[in-house]
Amino acid sequence: MNTTNPLKVLILGLILLQACAPTRVVKPLQKGEQQVSVHLGGPLLKFGGAPIPMPLSSVAYARGINDKITAFGSLHTTALLFGVIQTDIGICRELYSHPAGFGISVNPVLNIAVDTWEGNKKLWPELSLNAYQSLYQKKLLLYAGSSTWFELASKRAHGETQPNRALFHAQLGLQYQRKKFSYTLEGKYLGMGLPTQPNVVDYIGLQNKGALGIYLGLTRRF
Amino acid sequence: MKKIHFLYLAFSLILSSCLRLDSNLYNLSDKISEYKRDGFTGTQDFRLDASYDIPDSLVLPLTLKSHSVKENRDYSIRAFFIGHRARIATDTVIVYCHGNKWHMDFYWQRAKLLAHVGGKNRYGVLYMDYRGYGLSEGTPSEEGLYEDVDACLNWLKQEGLNNERLIMYGFSMGTSAATELSSKPRSLTPHKLILEAPFASAAVMAADGAGLDMPSSFFTNLKIDNAEEIKQVKQPLLWMHGVNDLFLGIKTHGEVVFKNHTGSYKEAHRIDGADHGEVPATWGFRNYTETLSTFITKP
Repeated sequence: MNTTNPLKVLILGLILLQACAPTRVVKPLQKGEQQVSVHLGGPLLKFGGAPIPMPLSSVAYARGINDKITAFGSLHTTALLFGVIQTDIGICRELYSHPAGFGISVNPVLNIAVDTWEGNKKLWPELSLNAYQSLYQKKLLLYAGSSTWFELASKRAHGETQPNRALFHAQLGLQYQRKKFSYTLEGKYLGMGLPTQPNVVDYIGLQNKGALGIYLGLTRRF
Repeated sequence: MKKIHFLYLAFSLILSSCLRLDSNLYNLSDKISEYKRDGFTGTQDFRLDASYDIPDSLVLPLTLKSHSVKENRDYSIRAFFIGHRARIATDTVIVYCHGNKWHMDFYWQRAKLLAHVGGKNRYGVLYMDYRGYGLSEGTPSEEGLYEDVDACLNWLKQEGLNNERLIMYGFSMGTSAATELSSKPRSLTPHKLILEAPFASAAVMAADGAGLDMPSSFFTNLKIDNAEEIKQVKQPLLWMHGVNDLFLGIKTHGEVVFKNHTGSYKEAHRIDGADHGEVPATWGFRNYTETLSTFITKP
């Protein structure tokens, strides 16, 4: 049966809001350095037969606490339009760095969402691990890593057992860095291994598992 | 200070213009100017052969007034009664609440099939386009759905139908009205309830889509909640669901609704190989109609 109908995109703005952002900070900023970013993109889904990324947007701010730790926070603007105040707050901690431009960082993050309609709240902890390599006199930053979302609730609607307590994502990104601006393109494989059928949303995944996502980012440092 | 005021104003404006996805729930994409029934050539789940044809004399088009309590106004909604009108006062009627897609022409084949439960035109069948669907006035809403189905029940009541001869049938989105009006009866109290491919709730849709537990209030204000509503239904229940339903999964939707029914009698039919909307065709029209007939006549 052709099940393409608006119900499949009712979740357009929010159902995957937890995956609506690329990695906020991959390589820690220098102490006192700040940046503001705008991110746009989301998981790909089939709509009217064509693949489209969910147009999810967010703005983020980051500041170098020291040369190895950067704190960041965000506001999910698409979610806000739907009456959901969502933020992800966390730090990027450098675990290893090599003078040749290679490094490894970890991002512990808290994702918090509250709706303005009924006041329902959710908190999802997240842990990301990324490896990066600077290229071409630091004009390019190539990175790859994984992030895991944790569901704290053991039950879901109607007292049913929550089947997924953790969602695994993998990301591969490239940043083109100019003097003050940088541009990011990140691809994600969301919900790795998680069956996406049956479902009201036609995600584009791999063999009906997970969803592929594309994200764009514009960052201004100062 | 001015910056703070500006930010506050911007934030308030954004929140005050919050989008909701409620209206996007409804699939009204196929517009029609008239009902063509068998002449409808658009996409359909299945088409019956000529042996299922219904003579025009046994198809009664109806235009009914459905009152919106919230708006304090009437909407003109369209419906078809299939069968012998005079028998409404003495025999069983199946009220069919269709799914989310389009209009009555899309569901005409299904209505004809129901008109063959127990034999050709054995039972009367009434189905309707909810407001905003097909040629019915207005825009869809959750309460409007219930009011429109109840307007049809009220017409049947005026024609002499009583509670004991009313069978309520809901498919997909229509299961919300069928369940709601069985648990909280209005003009008539259904005697038995049939649910085909019901959804559990908006919350389950959200959770299935997100992979994590997510409140449905994050994206909709709709309160449609079959999984909880069914707990109040005491009437006998027949539930059928495609095992291969890729839209409303049998495990997270149908099984939950079936499990939560606490009435005196219930039966389940899990149809192997059937996707959403494919239950009658995959099960086989004869199996389908005979099972319904047995359920309806079961003491």
